[in-house]
Amino acid sequence: MRQKQSAADRTFTVLAYTFILLFTLFCLFPFLLMIIGSFTDEGELIAHGYTLFPQKLSLDAYKAVLQSEVLFNGYAVTIFITAAGALSALCISAMLGYSLANKRNVLQTPFLIFCYLPMLFSGGIIPFYIVVSQWLHLQNTVWVLILTLLCQPFLVFLLVSFFRTIPEELEEAARIDGANEMRIFFQIMIPISKPILASVGLFYALNYWNDWFMGLMFVDNEKLFPLQLILRRMVSNMEAAKNLIPSGVAISVTPPTYGVRMATTVLTIGPIVLLYPMLQKYFVKGLTVGAVKG
Amino acid sequence: MQYQLHASPRSKLKHIVRNPFLYAMAAPGLLFFLVFSYFPIYGIMIAFKDYNFAKGITGSDWVGFKNFDYFFTSDDFWIILRNTLTLNMLFILFTTAAAVLIALMFNEIRNKYFKRISQSFIFLPYFMSWIVVGMIVQSLFGGEEPMINTWLQNIGLEPVNWMFESKLWPYILTVIRVWQGAGYLSIIFLAAITGISEELYEAARIDGASKLQIVLRITLPLLVPTIMIMTLLAVGKIFNGDFAMIYAIIGDNSLLYPTTDVIDTFVFRSMRQLHDFGMSSAVGLFQSVMGLIFVIAANWITRRVSKESALF
Repeated sequence: MRQKQSAADRTFTVLAYTFILLFTLFCLFPFLLMIIGSFTDEGELIAHGYTLFPQKLSLDAYKAVLQSEVLFNGYAVTIFITAAGALSALCISAMLGYSLANKRNVLQTPFLIFCYLPMLFSGGIIPFYIVVSQWLHLQNTVWVLILTLLCQPFLVFLLVSFFRTIPEELEEAARIDGANEMRIFFQIMIPISKPILASVGLFYALNYWNDWFMGLMFVDNEKLFPLQLILRRMVSNMEAAKNLIPSGVAISVTPPTYGVRMATTVLTIGPIVLLYPMLQKYFVKGLTVGAVKG
Repeated sequence: MQYQLHASPRSKLKHIVRNPFLYAMAAPGLLFFLVFSYFPIYGIMIAFKDYNFAKGITGSDWVGFKNFDYFFTSDDFWIILRNTLTLNMLFILFTTAAAVLIALMFNEIRNKYFKRISQSFIFLPYFMSWIVVGMIVQSLFGGEEPMINTWLQNIGLEPVNWMFESKLWPYILTVIRVWQGAGYLSIIFLAAITGISEELYEAARIDGASKLQIVLRITLPLLVPTIMIMTLLAVGKIFNGDFAMIYAIIGDNSLLYPTTDVIDTFVFRSMRQLHDFGMSSAVGLFQSVMGLIFVIAANWITRRVSKESALF
């Protein structure tokens, strides 16, 4: 039922819309700047910097970037660690989460404490660095980029709180029918947890896609640089953008370094932004399950 | 299944032997924590050692509290401690305020499409890596003719030499933080608002309350517990500087260290540039201990406010 609004209420509604609109534009602005910047003519970028309304558009930056082997290599590394990492992380976390949530687990309390403590106390990055590089000798391997991020306590506990909401009767019934733990997990728990598994898997994928810290710490070999690390080099070093352009490629008189920086950024976030509309609801679900606990 | 809680070690063992899968499936995850969390905790002892690569963690010589002395008496200590706390307080305050405002205003939006589209865009920055954010910041503030200055000049203001003005950066970082994190937090607040009973609103409307009154007298007060919990969780982490954010944006620009260098960036730099493993792990240990105290305190308070929201 629609009631007639008072003048004060109308003003309030208008204010609400205005505020949300302004904040949306504030959030959107850097993205627009990036995308438009990547299509702007280099001469104009040098003269006026990045603008929202360029006079002259150009595809030079993308032409240069798409011929860059460094970038393709970075894409390959990032796609590999994201796919392999997120998949293994999801399997490991789902199994751990199920075991932790299961009331029949006689070691439940010690297991829970074991997984909780790292959230409260950490050794810090120096011992971590020594363990990974001196003990495990993982530096300069692609595995260091995958293994170090395999398990996030926060996401494991998100799964634990979900598994706890599954009625025990379901498991009991299966057990009476003669199903063992393995069958219960794979044929009952996994199918009914699909939405939450999707959320957790996506969070892991995002972690892997966006990570650069592990690369910064443990990888010097440029062949193993993920996209983010290639981009990082360009943030601090203008010349790095030039290295991306293969020598002998004649695009224009000036190499489009400003444009290349933006084009690389756009290509780095591209997959996230493109998949985002489809994935958003899973992220929201994951967040709110975690916040409201169960 | 209660009986198992009081079961004897023998019958526990029997359960493990009969249901190996239930325990085996936890193994990879537990192994991960053992290697990547517990080994480093064991390695903390190097904070009390003169770390030597050849001798390793166990073999290096003990030096007592020397590493700590060196750090606590340096001027750097107070600067990075102050920066870590100030920046985190600014972040918590402004991100929470913005997120509450967004959630409250968003709740008034009735247009379905406007709602869906604006929420998508407000949430989007959360998915960007700090490197991408660093690139955007660099494009706006960096270079010989920062773009921000062009705008300032267009509206008749003096240009600013951003890379030298360390005083401004706490505020710039706060704006960036709000941009990146407010949308995310607002989703949690919105979920809490959705949980408020419709009857309360109905009753208020029948009594002739205006929209503003409803927001101030019903929605906001009922949101306070959630706000408190999210704030407490953040305060528990106040000693952890956001390394990824600060390092991606500030990088090695030492002119900005006086206001932006936090514990985490300091530790990373002393390791990378000074190769002082003993001192940096002493700083790391100090941070972990303070962090632990704060998390436990925050959790204790959270428990008193709302038991089910406490972490443990």
